[in-house]
Amino acid sequence: MNSLKGIITNITVNGSLSLVHLDVSGAVFSVIVIDTPKTASYLSTGNQVSVIFKETEVVIGTGKEFNVSLQNRLEGKISEIQSGELLSKIILDTNAGKIVSVITTRAVKNLGLKRGTEAVALIKTNEIMLTA
Amino acid sequence: MIELSVHKKLRAPSGEMQLSVDINFPKRSFVCIYGKSGSGKTTLFKIISGIMQPDRGQIVVNGKTWLKTDDKFHLKPQKRKVGFVFQDYALFPNMTVLENLEYGLEKGQSKSIIDELIGLMELGVLADRKPDTISGGQKQRVALARALVQKPEILLLDEPLSALDHEMRIKLQEYILKVHQQYELTTLLISHDVSEILKMADTLYHLDDGKIIRQGKPVEVFTRKEISGKLQLTGEVVAVEPQDFMCLITVLIGNELAKVVVVRNEKELLKPGDKVLIASKAFNPVVKKIG
Repeated sequence: MNSLKGIITNITVNGSLSLVHLDVSGAVFSVIVIDTPKTASYLSTGNQVSVIFKETEVVIGTGKEFNVSLQNRLEGKISEIQSGELLSKIILDTNAGKIVSVITTRAVKNLGLKRGTEAVALIKTNEIMLTA
Repeated sequence: MIELSVHKKLRAPSGEMQLSVDINFPKRSFVCIYGKSGSGKTTLFKIISGIMQPDRGQIVVNGKTWLKTDDKFHLKPQKRKVGFVFQDYALFPNMTVLENLEYGLEKGQSKSIIDELIGLMELGVLADRKPDTISGGQKQRVALARALVQKPEILLLDEPLSALDHEMRIKLQEYILKVHQQYELTTLLISHDVSEILKMADTLYHLDDGKIIRQGKPVEVFTRKEISGKLQLTGEVVAVEPQDFMCLITVLIGNELAKVVVVRNEKELLKPGDKVLIASKAFNPVVKKIG
């Protein structure tokens, strides 16, 4: 489980859903939750919360230019790779702290990922949980 | 409303201990008292039922005073509307199931409650059996029925299910919830079993060394903080299979087994028997109609 600290900067409510924007050590994160400031007291602008997501939900990208829908991005440098036959665990050092990603070993090879490679961690908006 | 204020100096194995409990909860609550052995849970039950005296205290049950040490007022145990079920069944071995239940009747009380309880607790086929010819789960069902004969206002359950196997526990939990609702009881349960507490209780008091150290909704007390994931299940780890840097854990949730992959973190290694909260976003699961 990855857990980062973020400050809530904006909340947009629609019905029972809220789109929450956070500042995670300078990176802008958007998170969608089935809660509103009325149902969850931690949803308040300026509040510090933990941003939680599973290692297997972290996409790794390299290079500067790519068009994808994922809005939550953290740039960093790979500090460690543990490769199994099918899956690999990658640790990316970012401004927000260490992020663990689990992707296929084949993807690691195709992207040529190594220790020291600069990469971007991308996480889908609907894969992130918040906790007070 | 049930108002409990109980203070008593106790001699515990570790030395002297001061039991100090001041709690209020609404009628029809299902309250769990959770804590290590020797923390004062059973003593609290004995004081509520009137078989033990506190040094100081007051007990008011739905507006009626049961105890007020300041006025030297102490309602006799038999006048308090309390049903008590212990871990050991405490049935009379020389009496049949039916006779055990009838023994609980007050003078002049109609026997119709017995028939009702036999129906509700499905004890019909056991009515003429002696306790030593029936199973542990069945005995505990009889003990529960007997505790309800006098239509108590408060039902005290002192680890009633801890001697039973898993399947029996689940069944008994259902019976307890059924009677809790049917008879509009205020139920107090002593339990160590987190999944049982989460399933049964609406309020939890964590008693430690004679004091309440945590209280609240069980899921909030146990998870300590709110997590936004809307699919939250609690269960017990039954198997852990490490593979590379991951673990495949098998979790018993109710009576269903689920498998979850976790990336291994040396600081939080899971082992069988651990109680866990599994959380996922409401967006993730797929739903398929069955049947």
